[in-house]
Amino acid sequence: MTHAAPPPRMSAPLLARTIAAWLVTLVIFFPLGWLVATAFKTELQAISVPPLFVWKPTLENFAEVQDRSNYLLFAANSLITSVVSTLLGLALAAPAAYSMAFFRGSRTRGVLMWMLSTKMMPAVGALVPIYVLAQTTGLLDTRLLLTIIFTLSNLPIMVWMLYSHFKDIPHEILEAARMDGASLWQEFRRVLLPLVLGGLASTGLLCLVLAWNEAFWSLNLTSAKAGTLAGLIASYSSPEGLFWAKLSAASLLAIAPIVVIGWFSQKQLVQGLTFGAVK
Amino acid sequence: MAFLELKGVEKNYGALRAIKGIDLAVEKREFVVFVGPSGCGKSTLLRMIAGLESVDRGSVQLDGRDITHVPSSKRDLAMVFQSYALYPHMSVAENMSFALKLAGAAPALIKEKVANAARILSLEPYLHRTPKELSGGQRQRVAIGRAIVRSPKVFLFDEPLSNLDAALRVQTRIELAKLHRDLGATTIYVTHDQVEAMTLADRVVVLRDGIVEQVGTPLELYDKPANQFVAQFIGTPKMNVVAAAELPQLGELFGAPVPTGAFVGMRPENLTVQPAGKGHVQGRIDLVESLGAETLVYVRTDKGTQLVARQNTRAAWHVGDQVGLEMDRASAHLFDAQGRLTAAQS
Repeated sequence: MTHAAPPPRMSAPLLARTIAAWLVTLVIFFPLGWLVATAFKTELQAISVPPLFVWKPTLENFAEVQDRSNYLLFAANSLITSVVSTLLGLALAAPAAYSMAFFRGSRTRGVLMWMLSTKMMPAVGALVPIYVLAQTTGLLDTRLLLTIIFTLSNLPIMVWMLYSHFKDIPHEILEAARMDGASLWQEFRRVLLPLVLGGLASTGLLCLVLAWNEAFWSLNLTSAKAGTLAGLIASYSSPEGLFWAKLSAASLLAIAPIVVIGWFSQKQLVQGLTFGAVK
Repeated sequence: MAFLELKGVEKNYGALRAIKGIDLAVEKREFVVFVGPSGCGKSTLLRMIAGLESVDRGSVQLDGRDITHVPSSKRDLAMVFQSYALYPHMSVAENMSFALKLAGAAPALIKEKVANAARILSLEPYLHRTPKELSGGQRQRVAIGRAIVRSPKVFLFDEPLSNLDAALRVQTRIELAKLHRDLGATTIYVTHDQVEAMTLADRVVVLRDGIVEQVGTPLELYDKPANQFVAQFIGTPKMNVVAAAELPQLGELFGAPVPTGAFVGMRPENLTVQPAGKGHVQGRIDLVESLGAETLVYVRTDKGTQLVARQNTRAAWHVGDQVGLEMDRASAHLFDAQGRLTAAQS
């Protein structure tokens, strides 16, 4: 990227704001940076006081994480449950958001609030009934169960996000398509979908991240067979003690895929978010 | 039977009766304009013809077919929206060809029709641009082009000029009139601007509160308004309407005593400013608007009523001057207490 000549001297308020922005960024980034650093230390270096800022990086934690537990199985579980639940959620949320955005009724507002209200109850409140249900149906420790749970728990957020994206599309564009002879499916496929692709992508990515990082349900409802990476991380804070370096290495392995996906879809997301801004 | 026929059409939004039973017949190739103040139901009526609003009662017939409950996509009508409603993700060419593609027309035919519409509307240099790269006037033309390529049974326009600036509005209005003359397409056009209605229409439908006040050619509406509302809605500045009781001398104009509660209407161009003491009414000048070709003189009568006179001559009229107003009795209108026209002298 090339920049034009540097801007003239910053004014005092701008300078203050810039410093504040940097400070906030550092505070937010610090735990993540510390996690990455710790993952490459030995257990002893990891707990040394004062903390080490210069050391010889080691990969032994990663080797041990792979030795001790089957990282690939957990990663596959995370990948399958989060991707499938996101796709399923989009398929369910998009028609709901469509009807609420374009065929508003007197109860639309209420339905939206009701959907959101299900997110207001702490998840633990539903743990016992859901555990019993899962046990009775024989779904405990299966990917299917987690996929269903992730889909349902993310559904309200997806409907809300898609609703706000759909609402921004002028109604008349869809009416114009109808006047042009488009069937409902053609109207959706040829006009609405291209316009909301960015919204679908950003909603999908958010729910993918939420499902990927979900810990409560996966810790409580799965173990060896369908456990996700959240379970893998948690296993390092065990009765045998806290292993900071290995915990960090496992965490790093757990978040790496999603960070990579986010990094690569960044451009498309930003593009998608500004795409419909034509009137 | 007419080409497009509305029979007892009604539309309710809950308790609100938006369209209260409208009958209307539109002939083939006719240019019909719906005009009325905002909230009169003109856009709703157009959208009911388009199928974008359901018809609660009554029927809509097009070319011998009942389309009351046919979905918009199967009505073979084209609509130009106030906001243009172009597809932002498609180029100008794609916008215009969308309907033909959906209908499964041959690519060669599509290309020919789009090229033809682009030529008529001078859009040829812009065919590959997207709507956001166009000016307001160009977007407007694309919206019209999108309607033209389809050769629909009826063109529907919903206030298509209201987003354009004044100069462009006049220019586009002239182009629309020419376009209609060239294509000879049946057109229904909604506007709140009575000048657009007068200049474009073969027939004007004046609406108020969900009912038709009058249907007629522009000059019929101007010369023989059915009631006080139409009389004052059509024409700028609007017709002077005065309670007959306030100006008893008007009785002489009609050669008979004016009924109690009646109103007299006079177009501003039928009033002539005279020196004080002459004419039918005496008053003082409130305001003078010099427009160059014409001068509008606002006169307050001794009784306090304001009358506007449109003069084609220029004279040294000053605010505060005492003047008389001469009325052209041949063109005076008499409305009864309910506002209905009872006598037009012309």
